[in-house]
Amino acid sequence: MTDWTALATRSRRARQTRLGVLTLFLTLVSIPVAVPYIWMVMIAFTARRGMAETGTLWPALLVIVAGLAVYGLVLWRSGRERTALVAGALTGLGLGLVLLGNDLHLNNFRFMVNANIIEDLKGQATAGGQFPWVWEAFFNSLILAGSQTIIVVTVSTLAAYYLSRFSFRGRSAFLQSLLVLQAFPAITLVIPIFLIVFWVGLLNTLYAPILVLTALELPFFIFIMKGFFDAVPWDIEMSAMTDGASRRQAFWMVVLPQVRVGMIAIGVFAFIKGWEEYVFVNGLRTGNSYWVMSTYLYYVRQDVMGVDYGMVAAVAVLYVLPALVLYLFCQKYLTQMTLGGVKG
Amino acid sequence: MARVDLHALTKTWDKATAVAGIDLSIDDGEFVAILGPSGCGKSTTLFLLAGVYLPSSGDILFDGTRVNEVEARHRNVGIVFQSYALYPNMSVLQNILFPTRFQKTPDAERRAREMGELVQITELLDRRPSELSGGQQQRVALARALIKRPNLLLLDEPLSNLDATLRLTMRAEIRRLTRDLGVTTILVTHDQLEATTMADRVVCMNAGRIEQVGTAEDLYMRPETTFVAGFIGSPPINLIPLPTPGVDAQGQTQPQTLGLRPEMLHAGESGLPLQIDHVEVMGRETLYSGTGPNGALRFLEPTAQPRWSMGDRVHLDFAPADSILFDAAGRRLPDATARRTE
Amino acid sequence: MMKPSRLSLDALLFLGPAVVLMLAFFVAPIVVNILVSFSDMSQTVRLDGFPTTAQYNKLGKLDPDAFLGFELRGSFYRALALTATFVFLTLFIFNVSFALILALTTTAIPERMGAVFRAIWLLPRMSPSVVYALLWLWVVDSSERGLLNQVWLLFASEPINLRLDHPMLVIVVANGLIGASLGMIIFTSAIRSIPEHLFHAARADGAGPLSIVRHVVLPALRWPISYITIYQALALLVSFEYIFLIMGPARSTMTMAMLSYTRTLAPQVGGGQYAYGAAIAMILIVIGIVVALAMWRLANMKALLQKPRIEVNG
Repeated sequence: MTDWTALATRSRRARQTRLGVLTLFLTLVSIPVAVPYIWMVMIAFTARRGMAETGTLWPALLVIVAGLAVYGLVLWRSGRERTALVAGALTGLGLGLVLLGNDLHLNNFRFMVNANIIEDLKGQATAGGQFPWVWEAFFNSLILAGSQTIIVVTVSTLAAYYLSRFSFRGRSAFLQSLLVLQAFPAITLVIPIFLIVFWVGLLNTLYAPILVLTALELPFFIFIMKGFFDAVPWDIEMSAMTDGASRRQAFWMVVLPQVRVGMIAIGVFAFIKGWEEYVFVNGLRTGNSYWVMSTYLYYVRQDVMGVDYGMVAAVAVLYVLPALVLYLFCQKYLTQMTLGGVKG
Repeated sequence: MARVDLHALTKTWDKATAVAGIDLSIDDGEFVAILGPSGCGKSTTLFLLAGVYLPSSGDILFDGTRVNEVEARHRNVGIVFQSYALYPNMSVLQNILFPTRFQKTPDAERRAREMGELVQITELLDRRPSELSGGQQQRVALARALIKRPNLLLLDEPLSNLDATLRLTMRAEIRRLTRDLGVTTILVTHDQLEATTMADRVVCMNAGRIEQVGTAEDLYMRPETTFVAGFIGSPPINLIPLPTPGVDAQGQTQPQTLGLRPEMLHAGESGLPLQIDHVEVMGRETLYSGTGPNGALRFLEPTAQPRWSMGDRVHLDFAPADSILFDAAGRRLPDATARRTE
Repeated sequence: MMKPSRLSLDALLFLGPAVVLMLAFFVAPIVVNILVSFSDMSQTVRLDGFPTTAQYNKLGKLDPDAFLGFELRGSFYRALALTATFVFLTLFIFNVSFALILALTTTAIPERMGAVFRAIWLLPRMSPSVVYALLWLWVVDSSERGLLNQVWLLFASEPINLRLDHPMLVIVVANGLIGASLGMIIFTSAIRSIPEHLFHAARADGAGPLSIVRHVVLPALRWPISYITIYQALALLVSFEYIFLIMGPARSTMTMAMLSYTRTLAPQVGGGQYAYGAAIAMILIVIGIVVALAMWRLANMKALLQKPRIEVNG
C-alpha cells in the first residue's frame, strides 16, 4: 500500500530543500555584484576624510540583512506582503539610524552647489578653469541622451513600419543587409568614424555623438520595432482602410498605438546608452570642447578629485541615478522585447 | 446600396494562383455566401472586393462602374473580420465612430449611438474592446462596418470565433440587420450550415474557381460537380465509382461516379451489399457505416433506436431518381442520361 | 496600380532618414577604414602614401616557409593570443555557462525572488561604464583599503594586487559580470516561452527537476544558446571599453581591439597612428563580417521576409 502522507511530506521537504539551496546559491553569487554599489553609496554619504573607507559599509550591510530577515520572517509567518514590507523597512530604518545616524552627511555633494569646486580644491593655478560645473556636464548628457533617443525612436519606428508593411523592390536584400549590420561590431569603426566626423566638420560638437550613436543603434532597433509591427494584426490595418483611413492615417491612428510598448522599450535602451556613452563621446572631441557625465567622472577620478574618494563617489551616485531610476520604472516594458528574426 | 459584378477576376501571387478567373453577379440588396474549404480563394476574393488587394487581371464593377483602382477607403465598403479587428486603443464608441472621421457625417455621435442600439450594445459604449466577450466584440464590429451606410457589407468568417449557441443567435441577428438595412452582403465562410441558412444564394468555390452558384437546395439536390456533392451535406454523400467505360458505342458520355446521399439509401433485402462496422446515434437519426464490394458506404435511418448493430449484413436499395451521376471529369450528367442508364 | 510617385514618396518619408544615417555613419566608415588601412595616415589626417601595405607589414610578414605562409610580428602575435584567451574564457565561463545557470536558477524559485536576483545582475549593465570601472578600481585597489583586500586579509597576511598579478582574471571577470546578464535575459525569456503543458506532461511522466532541465528546457534553448555564443564572441572580440577603463594602456591586457584604440584615439595615450589602428580594425571587421554572415543561419528568414499583405498604399 502506498503511504500518501509520507510521500507528500517527502516531496514537500524536497521542494523546500531545493528552494533553500537555490536561494543560498543565488545570494552568494549576487553579493559580489551588489556590495560594491552599496559601498559606493556609503562612501558618497559618509566619507569624511576623502578616503575610500569601509568603516560604514559593514554596518550598512548589517542593516540590509536585518531588514531582509525581518521581511522574510514576517512574510513567512503572516503571509501578508505589505505588513512584511513595512516591518522590514522599519527595522532597516531604525537600525540604520542607530548604527549610522551620526555618520551620514551630504558634504560630499557640495560640488552640486559650488560651481568652482575644482579650483577651490586644487587652487586656481592647477585647474585653471578647465573643469566645468557638474551641471553643465549633466545637462549636456541629458541633451545627448535625450535627442539621441528621440531621433532613434522616430527614425527606427518609421523604417520598421515601412519594412514590415510595404513591399518594394529590393526589400529582402535591404532586410538581409540590415541583418548583417545588426550583428556587426560597430565599435571597431571608431577610427574611421572619427575621420569622417573630422572631415565633415562636426568634431568637437555634440551633434557628432548624437548622430553617430543613432546610426549605430539603428539596425538593431529597426529589427526590434519590425518585430512589434509584425505582431500587429493585418485585419486592424485593413479594417481602418476600409473604414476610410488612408495608409498613413491608418499607421498614425491605429497601428502606432499598438507598438507603443516597443517604442518605450527602445527609447529606454537608447537613453541609457546615450547617458553612459564614453568611447564615442571621448573619441569625437580633441580637447575639452564639451563635457558630459562620463568624461567628467573619468577626469574627475583620474586627476582632479582622485584623492577625494567621497566626492568622486558622490559624482558617481549622481551619474548612476537617472539611468537606474529610468530602468526600474520601465522594466516591465523591456521584458517584452524579443530579438527580431531570431528563432526562439 | 450596390450591384456587384466580377468579370474574369484573377489574383496570382509570385507562384500561386489564389483566384483563377471568376465571374459572378450579385444583385442589389442580395445576401450571398461564398463557401469553400480553406485556401480556396474565398478570402482573397473578399479582400479584392474590399480594395486591399489589387486584381492581377479581370474587373470588379460596383453598379456597372469599374472600381479596380479605387482605393479601399473610397469604395464605401464595410467589413467584419474573423478577429473583429477592433482598435484596442479606442473605446467601443470611438471604434464605431472611427469611419465617420473620414467622411462628413452630420450627428456622427447620435448615429453611432443608434448603431449601438441596433446591435444592442448601448451599455458597453464606454468600455475597451478587451473588456468585451466575443459576441459583444462582434456586434461592435458590425456597428462599425454599418455606420457609414456601406454600399457593400463584407463578412469574413464572422461567426467562427463564437460558441455554438451564440452562433445561432448571431446568424439570425445578422440576417435581420442586413434585411432591414437592405445592404448588399457577401459572407465568406467554410461552414456550409452558416452559408445555407443565411444566404439567398451560395457560391461554392474550390481551388480559386467557382464550382457552382445556387440556392441551398440547388447545391444539395443538384450538385454540379463531385466536389460540391462531397463538400455539401453532413454526413457526406456516398460517391461510388462505376465500372463503365468513359464513352459508349454511340459516343455518348457514360457516368463514371454514382452519388447517393446517406438518407436516400434504405436497408432491405436487395441492392448493394454492406457489412456494418460502425453505428452512430445522432439524436433523432442513426448513421451506419460499413464496407462492401463497392467500398465504404454510409446510410442514415430516421430512428433513434438502432435497427442494426455492428457486424450485421444488409442490402441497400435506392430510388433511381434520387441518384446523381457524374462523368469522368466529375461534372454532373443531366437527369435524363441518368435515368436511361438505370 | 498606385502611382509610382506616391510609392517613392512613402519610401523617402519612412525609410529615407534611416538609410541616410546608416550610410553616413555605418556603411561609409567601413569603406573609409579599408582605404585608411592601406595608407600611412597619422596625426596629419591625410591619406598619405595610398596605396601601401605598410600597416599590414607591421602586423606580420609573408614568409613562404611559415606554417600558414606568413609570420606574425611579436606585438601583434601577443595581442592575438591575449584576445583569444580573453574571449574564450569570458565567453564560456560567464556569457554562456553562468548566464545559463542564472536563468535556470532564477526561474526555478518564486517569480518575485527571481526577478530581484536578475535585477541585481543587471546592475552592472545598466550603470555607466565609467562608474562600473571606478568600482572595480576601488574594489581591487592594491592597498589594504581595497574591498577585496579587506576580505582577503582575513585569510592571508599580504594584500594582493590583482591588476598587476592577475590582469587576465580582472578583465575576464569584469566583462563576464556584464556579459552574463544578456544571456540571462535571453535564456529566461526563452524558458518562459516554453508552453506550460510541456512541464506538466514531463512531471506527470515522472521526470524530476534535473531531467526536466535536461529534456524540456535545454532543447528549447538550443537556438538562443547558439545565438548568444556567436553574438557575444563577436562583442568580446572587439570590446575594449572596460579593459581600457580598468587596466589603462597596460601591456598585460593589450588585446587587438585595445591595441587599435590605444595607438589612435585613447585619451592621453592615443598616438594618432590612424592607419595602423585601421589595419588592426580591418582584421576585426573581416572576422566581424564573417561571423555576422554566420548569424544569418540563425535568423528566421521566412518570418523576417514575410510578404506584406496590403497592396495599396493610399
